Amino acid sequence: MSIEKFMRNAVTGWMTAHDEHSDIVMSTRIRLARNLTGYHFPIAFTEEDAMAVDKAVAGVLLDADDSKYTYTKVADLPELERQVLVEKHLISPHLANPDRQGAVILSEDETISVMVNEEDHIRIQCIYPGLQLEDAYNQANEVDDHLEKELPYAFDEDFGYLTSCPSNTGTGMRASVMMHLPALTMTKQIDRIIPAISRLGMVVRGSYGEGSEAPGNVYQVSNQTTLGKTEQEILVDLGNITSRLIAHERNSRELLLAKSRVALENRLFRSLGTISYARLLPSGEAARCLSDVRLGIDIGIIEDIDMSILNELMIFMQPGFLQQYADVELSQEERDIFRAKLFRERLHAERTSASAEKSSEE
Amino acid sequence: MICENCKERPASVIITQESVVGSVERHLCDKCAFHTQTFHFDPNQEPLSIQQFLSHWFSGADPFQAQQQARGESQPGLECPSCGLTFQKFLDIGKFGCATCYDTFREKLPHVLRKLHNGHSIHGGKVPVSFNEMYAVKKKIEEIRVKMKVAIEAEHFEEAAALRDEANTLKQHLAQGGGTSDVD
Repeated sequence: MSIEKFMRNAVTGWMTAHDEHSDIVMSTRIRLARNLTGYHFPIAFTEEDAMAVDKAVAGVLLDADDSKYTYTKVADLPELERQVLVEKHLISPHLANPDRQGAVILSEDETISVMVNEEDHIRIQCIYPGLQLEDAYNQANEVDDHLEKELPYAFDEDFGYLTSCPSNTGTGMRASVMMHLPALTMTKQIDRIIPAISRLGMVVRGSYGEGSEAPGNVYQVSNQTTLGKTEQEILVDLGNITSRLIAHERNSRELLLAKSRVALENRLFRSLGTISYARLLPSGEAARCLSDVRLGIDIGIIEDIDMSILNELMIFMQPGFLQQYADVELSQEERDIFRAKLFRERLHAERTSASAEKSSEE
Repeated sequence: MICENCKERPASVIITQESVVGSVERHLCDKCAFHTQTFHFDPNQEPLSIQQFLSHWFSGADPFQAQQQARGESQPGLECPSCGLTFQKFLDIGKFGCATCYDTFREKLPHVLRKLHNGHSIHGGKVPVSFNEMYAVKKKIEEIRVKMKVAIEAEHFEEAAALRDEANTLKQHLAQGGGTSDVD
């Protein structure tokens, strides 16, 4: 399959951001955790409970004549497809375990993903490209209202929405913004910023959540606390922190350019060289180099590469996508070789066509 | 690592179990840990997850234990009538087993929740419409009861009987999980 065709099938809504902050904010995600009364939480429930919950939730979302949702039982998917869903952030690594009675209900454009029987009975998730906290919340809230009309939610006057983990009790809402912060990382300011943000009830971590690193300098900023504040207050606070981080990142980029342009150019072009010509490209190195090249394009140092190619490579460099595109299972070394090949072809093709355009204009 | 018990799910919890032959370390998934009878956590386990956080924070100088001992109460304390989770086990695994746990441990929870939520323990966000409706019905029943008491004291028994019937209708409504068309 050609990569263009594969991409059309594989790229999901949130992966293509085009707003004023899309150089720094990659995507926005809202997650609402909900449980039904009458069944134990997934950590303690029986298989019958699991099936009943699954049936109830799927019933509400799929029953309407104009339903835009598709239902998939996670255990029915081959391992590779499960991995791709995780890489697209449409299901959590926790739900990807086929031994759970888990299911995912997806909207056509994949902006809405409802996970059934994850840590809680229901996890409504909306992912939007760029910085769109309000819109993503409104969408998630709409799905929540729809489910709530038909299903008895576990709710308490004092504690709010009752969740399996006490860290989600209250609103059950986790709002996250995925950000590319290479200059703050390079200048090590991020090490001072992370503890400061945690004092404000927010948390900064790697792009796959708790315990994950920040490959490619992509960080996830989200609310830590879910009790005591309204959903709107949480969104405003997170929005403010995101704006601050954008401003800090832009400042650091300017400072880097002003104070160490040659060193910066050297690093960014070396990274471009690596992804253009390497024969073995491990994922860590690929992520680091892509981050550099992305920064190079954002600040105008690297000019003849389209950002959309970079977005695409950022997604396809992941093991699940890579193997799905190759249409065969690959060992780690084979993946590193295949990744390098894919990068060479994609970047070479892009640069050839860009320079061809240039010469035809001249 | 795979859970030693079910051999299916990944192990996420390390448990040190005391037995006659000494202490044994077991690697279990969340679910098997929940259903295990007694255990203690390995304090050296990394990274610090919510269960270790709660377990460490509240173990040792446990304020609940101190309170209970001061009041002469005996251990091990409350157990959820629905899923069987004890409060100590909740601290160990950091998860509730069901919605009833929140009711069972209601008095102790604000203390735990404040630690996790920057000093907050009371929900301030969205309330489900159905809950608002139920709340309104409950309020209405309480109001009727007050009026009924006044009517009885004034020996207006007919009015009291009418109020009783109205309250019963609302109670039935509530039992059916009901709507609010007849609530002001």
